[in-house]
Amino acid sequence: MDLFLGRFVTIDAGSALQVVVLGFIGGILSGFIGSGGAFFMTPGMMNLGVPGVVAVGSNIAHKFGKAMMGSRRHKELGNVDRRLAAFLILTSFVGIRLAVWVNSLMFEGGGGEHGEGGSSALSNLYISLVFIGILAFVGASMLKDALTTRGEGADQAPSPRMARLLARVHAPPYVNFPVADVRVSLWVLLIVGLATGYMAGTIGVGGFIGVPAMIYVFGVPTSVAAGTELYLAMYMGAFGAINYAFQGFVDLRMTLLLYLGSLVGVYVGVYGTKVVREVVIRLVTGTVILLCVFSRAIALPAYLRELGLVNLDPGWDPVCNLASKAFLFLAGIAGCALILVHVFRAYRQRRRIEATLVGTASG
Amino acid sequence: MQIICISRGTLRGGKELAEGLAHRLGVPCLGREDLIEAAFRDGIQVGKLETAMVKGGRLSERLAIEKEHYLAFSTAFLCDRAREGSLVYHGRTGHLLLPGVEHLLRIRVVADPEFRLRAVMRDLGIPREKARRYIEDVDEDRRRWVHAMYGVSWEDAAQYDLIVNLHAFNIENAAAALTGVAQLPDFQMSPASLKALDDLHLAARARVLLARDDRTRAASFKVTGSSGVLTVTYLPHSAAVAPAIPKVLEALEGVREVRATMAATNILWIEEAFDPASESFRHVVEVASKWGAAVELLRLCPAGADADEVAAASAPAATPPRGAAGGIEEDVEEPVVVDGGLSATADALASVGRSGGARTVCASSDRLIEAIDRTVPYSLVVVGDVYLSKGHAARVRLVRELMGFLGERLKVPTVGIEDLKSRYLFGRADLVRMVGFLALVVLVFAVVFTNQEAVLRFFAAEETWARVLAAAAAFVIIPVVAYLYGTVASLWLKWIRME
Repeated sequence: MDLFLGRFVTIDAGSALQVVVLGFIGGILSGFIGSGGAFFMTPGMMNLGVPGVVAVGSNIAHKFGKAMMGSRRHKELGNVDRRLAAFLILTSFVGIRLAVWVNSLMFEGGGGEHGEGGSSALSNLYISLVFIGILAFVGASMLKDALTTRGEGADQAPSPRMARLLARVHAPPYVNFPVADVRVSLWVLLIVGLATGYMAGTIGVGGFIGVPAMIYVFGVPTSVAAGTELYLAMYMGAFGAINYAFQGFVDLRMTLLLYLGSLVGVYVGVYGTKVVREVVIRLVTGTVILLCVFSRAIALPAYLRELGLVNLDPGWDPVCNLASKAFLFLAGIAGCALILVHVFRAYRQRRRIEATLVGTASG
Repeated sequence: MQIICISRGTLRGGKELAEGLAHRLGVPCLGREDLIEAAFRDGIQVGKLETAMVKGGRLSERLAIEKEHYLAFSTAFLCDRAREGSLVYHGRTGHLLLPGVEHLLRIRVVADPEFRLRAVMRDLGIPREKARRYIEDVDEDRRRWVHAMYGVSWEDAAQYDLIVNLHAFNIENAAAALTGVAQLPDFQMSPASLKALDDLHLAARARVLLARDDRTRAASFKVTGSSGVLTVTYLPHSAAVAPAIPKVLEALEGVREVRATMAATNILWIEEAFDPASESFRHVVEVASKWGAAVELLRLCPAGADADEVAAASAPAATPPRGAAGGIEEDVEEPVVVDGGLSATADALASVGRSGGARTVCASSDRLIEAIDRTVPYSLVVVGDVYLSKGHAARVRLVRELMGFLGERLKVPTVGIEDLKSRYLFGRADLVRMVGFLALVVLVFAVVFTNQEAVLRFFAAEETWARVLAAAAAFVIIPVVAYLYGTVASLWLKWIRME
């Protein structure tokens, strides 16, 4: 595929619509699980031929504005521990800077500056592998959690065993966080901030590290973890956007098109959490994430061939890409359809019961 | 009649103090151990619940329901005993089981750390360092339990009327001093307190019944009671159990009416005088319908109001005998209930399926917080006209202070009734804003997409100054567009009533 200036794809009405749909599905999933969404949008853009590094750069810029809108609500609800966020921000910036440097190096190493098609293969391969590694772990954990909760005798909520274990490890100095009501070792904070920033900078999905770490490692309440992560995401998004834009990897058109879908989708997702059972949320999200992993895995042979690491007929490239795209959209659309069915069913049920109540009262 | 709740920790002498005080007052003494034993006999998995609470993190759906069952059982257990006469209860936070019941005597017992250390070393036969860790762990577990169970801090001194440090004086003397305090008129139950206790008792018994019945045990409920009217709210995904609710509760003694409301969340509406025909009522119902919320009414009387009169006014009228007596019956005038429109508004809410319960609280703003159940997930607190006896300027100030106080303590958005429409309902100003912002968004998109090549060249510039400019542009343009389009999206969803 010919890339403008060696990095930007041509956008026609069809591809623009696909990006809007990607944003909408990503927004629904993001609202539904409280963080993420980039795990769907970034690979989706890569399937449209956008180099991985540009997809990540555009997505992190998109994350900046979206988190800014979302964190306002969390702040109103008192779910943001600013002190905790401040400690994480410092090291997350280091992580992001490191990630941008590595991604840019990979892109340049793959010959991206010369602009020939497939030149970003090394960067694409690296981003895809990180995606597969992180998402496979997160998706499998979510599914395991959901399936265990469905079973008998599995009443225990995801327990912060690690938090208790770490609390017994003497690693001063410690920092107290009043809103989250926890005390955490500074060293643990720095490591988590660094990892969150690095993941956000590499694949645009820092929340998959930050939120579980806050809940399981720090012992922060779930609502505060989600609110603080969104607050943190605002700063990480801003820093990431500035860094990627400085390197020339932000496609403003992509960011704007993503907003068209995501800022509506996120409300639908949040609405879905009110009417869908917790276990179904984890089941749907876990399945969608694993299908995204599979979709990304299908795209790998094309990158490997471009790098000369496997001997494959170039004719297979479009097949791999089409199959990857089909799987991704299938996963996203199926997941969202399931959420929308639940939303619609709950809405109808509510109307029916309300009508019954009004009828009873007046009768 | 009086209820004395003593909050105790490990090896602080709280149990001994409670027993001594009960002995001096000649009233029964009840401990947390009695409560736990009864809960265990009722089939509540207290151990499992305790482990999950202490561990922290999110509770599974089943354990969250078990927590509701445990709280209701504990409240019913305490109310049962309290209705038989005065009592002294010693446990962790017994007073939190009775929100809204005034005139409780709430005591916290603390002890010198050195005293506790020595006691642990002596009782458990462990060295000093281990004993210190043991105390820290136990205190931490209890702190977590209270926080997870009631959403408050165990150590918050404002929760207690008295804090007794047993380092300074021995248990016998402390009990003697507390006997005098307990006899003060401030800690004797008034008719209003008794009514609050009765309402709590009814609601707690109803919740326990729902937890015991096979048809309803798997669902989450919030139950409130007021003068024999039970309001049960349940989540939308539990709608299938709704028909069973009245059947389960029909046999419950003291119930006049059962109202079931499906609600995804709750709105707390505070007023001094409610009016179901008012514009405010229409706005609250509109917001509640849009959010699928139940509206809980809280009538706030000034702290100086005669609480007993309020209790009498809120009490149910004597139920007329059922069935006709034969012959010509005289028309009997319905007694007029002077309750600031509370009953009429609660009835009106029930008729539109949005009732979340109703009650009256006579307290100052700082005591009002104690009457609000902190475990209820409120999405919004609406403060209407309160402090009606004050002049306009003073009223405005007091309402503003109350809103700030409630918002800070409950950590929930708190709005005045006059702002409700502009904040949560779609009006003409919203339409203008939506159209204006949409026009700006269209303009940005038009500029970007008709000048794609120039825009992309700008963002992929090679020179350092141009790169800095590109980064600055991204930093400014992206949040501005997000704000403009995000506002358009949220206003549009507000317009189609899907927030």
